[in-house]
Amino acid sequence: MSTRSVLPRLGVELVDPEGFSCCGYPLRSMNDAAWFYLSARNLAISETQELDMLPLCNGCYASLNEVKHYLDTDDEFREQINKTLALEGLYYEGKHRVRHILEVLNEDVGVSKIKESIKLHLDGFDFASHCGCHAVRPSDFRYTDDPEDPKILDALIASLGSKTSYYPEKLDCCGASLIMTDYEAAFKLTGAKLKSIKRRGFDGLVTNCPFCFKMYDSRQEAVGKVIHEEKFDVPVFYITQLIGLSLGLGSEELGLNFNVSPCDQVVSKMEDSR
Amino acid sequence: MTQSQQSFLVIGGGIAGIQASLDLADRGYKVHLVEESPSIGGKMALLDKTFPTMDCSICILAPKMVEVLRHPNIDLLTYSEIRGVEGEKGNFRVIVAKKPRYVDPSKCIGCGVCATRCPSRVKDEYQMSLGDRKAIYMPFPQSVPLVYCVDPESCLFLTKGICRVCERFCEAGAIDFDQKEELVFLKPSGIIIATGLRVSKPIEIEEYGYGRFRDVLNAMEFERTLTATGPTGGELLKPSNGEHPRNIAFIQCVGSRSLREGYPYCSAVCCMHATKQAILVKEHSPETTVTIFYTDIRANGKDFRQFINRARTEYGVNYVRGKPGEVREDTETNQLEFYYEDTLTAQIHKVNVDLLVLSTALLPSEKNGELARLLGVQTDEYGFIKQLDPLTSPLSTTVDGIYVCGFAQGPKDIPDTIVEASGVASIASTIHPSIGE
Repeated sequence: MSTRSVLPRLGVELVDPEGFSCCGYPLRSMNDAAWFYLSARNLAISETQELDMLPLCNGCYASLNEVKHYLDTDDEFREQINKTLALEGLYYEGKHRVRHILEVLNEDVGVSKIKESIKLHLDGFDFASHCGCHAVRPSDFRYTDDPEDPKILDALIASLGSKTSYYPEKLDCCGASLIMTDYEAAFKLTGAKLKSIKRRGFDGLVTNCPFCFKMYDSRQEAVGKVIHEEKFDVPVFYITQLIGLSLGLGSEELGLNFNVSPCDQVVSKMEDSR
Repeated sequence: MTQSQQSFLVIGGGIAGIQASLDLADRGYKVHLVEESPSIGGKMALLDKTFPTMDCSICILAPKMVEVLRHPNIDLLTYSEIRGVEGEKGNFRVIVAKKPRYVDPSKCIGCGVCATRCPSRVKDEYQMSLGDRKAIYMPFPQSVPLVYCVDPESCLFLTKGICRVCERFCEAGAIDFDQKEELVFLKPSGIIIATGLRVSKPIEIEEYGYGRFRDVLNAMEFERTLTATGPTGGELLKPSNGEHPRNIAFIQCVGSRSLREGYPYCSAVCCMHATKQAILVKEHSPETTVTIFYTDIRANGKDFRQFINRARTEYGVNYVRGKPGEVREDTETNQLEFYYEDTLTAQIHKVNVDLLVLSTALLPSEKNGELARLLGVQTDEYGFIKQLDPLTSPLSTTVDGIYVCGFAQGPKDIPDTIVEASGVASIASTIHPSIGE
């Protein structure tokens, strides 16, 4: 929601092609053919529009990119997939890219354009940045950011005027990938990070992945129960929510009313400084 | 002393080039020793101690360096580089460029007043950039020749046309800003490549945080922090906050023996230099915990295994077989933390340390490629000079009359380097005087 509000204001037009489905990633370990097919199908649909694809979720991004890699490097596999796609009148050629939200914000929009566009400087805040695993990994894929020391999300937050201090748990997984199989293990991961962020006195957590966002934003209470922690009260923002606030957009336009974590104090503190 | 009509060119003034030059010169040959930096000594001059005897490195090296300077058969060309090579065995023609030092070596007495007055401060490469030096400098106290040198990139006069303070305070009148590059033409019968090594910054192995966390050092940087002539005067301190580290870890094979990133070869000396440094730490402060995370221990030199046994039993150095994962910095305790698997017990542990030393891959000189092009010799894919035949002609390059010794050919320690240097001098001196006439 916030991405739909923010990107057009920064000069990026978004189109919703008809027929998009799940990327297939959740089926990966049960039925890889279904995974391949679903990812390939979405790739083929975006090709019919002559457009690059922008999945916001890191998991979808990694999944689509991985399948794209197989399609682009294995002729036999591509032929097989295309045979199935033909049943829907689709064809995968491989001429378009799967883009990451960080890449679009950093390369297509650019930090300087964001700096020029903002109306509200978010000075005096220190956010824990969390780009999430699949923004940068598998590292062999050489995604847009450095897998050991990712910097783009930090640079974007810095362009709004806020600090992003280092914290040791910065690269830790949010736990989302374990949620179906072992939620306690997943919540331990989520909780370790939330606990550290709270203890270190950050103003909140900012992430670019909706799945990570969900783990940190809406599961704080459930996580607290698992790791026997009273209350976290860590405000969690999606990156375009933060950029949107800085552009002067209203909370509702950015979907902030749907955030479960206590973002209000941070938002009012921002508005006070106006 | 006997004098031969023949002369030799030795490229590189580290321990390999020094030993080869001395051997040839003692045999009566004229030797031109070319070194690119202002002083000979090479990497051995940076070391605090040598393994396995724990001798003071510079104390062994300095007498040889002085001997080079005073030897009637050695023509020492420091701060110089090879510009052109022609000819063949017995009759090479070589152009060497002597870069201007802006200090007259016949007048400079090495008193150092110029450096105390110089206002321009830059990172000191001799201290692995852990300390500063001035724009007019002597690389280290035992430099040979004992002549100051102006760094043209940081000198205020040479960059901005102001200052000249050194000139005013030099009582010997040795400062000479009119010096120009000078070309020297040599006609050696044979050429010896002894360009040595460089210590990699582990840029390929990012997960250990080198360059991001100040208390992660490579082994050469750590060696400087241990030595009396180092940036802290020999007091072992954490670079981040100047406190004494109480827990130090070494990670071995960082970038070497690596099939993922870095280099597949073994750097040959790291098991031993880590053990040496661990013992030095224990000698500085016995209560400090020292752990070496190794792949396997390669201690195949004479007395090397006993050296490791002593580190373990007499000094209490811990050896853990395992490769740590990602290193993070705990900003609250100012410590580095990481997980590792002890592969002998298959147990996962977490550890916090104050200082982390990475035994990084050792690489040949980055200028080997350019030098090889000038000389017409071949290098391997990592930049080491190729041997004519590793079994039967290990000291010959692919060009007749051009030889190689020491680390320029492949990873090896100081004793092996000296053996090779003497060997290469012996082989080079078999070039018959009639060849090339």
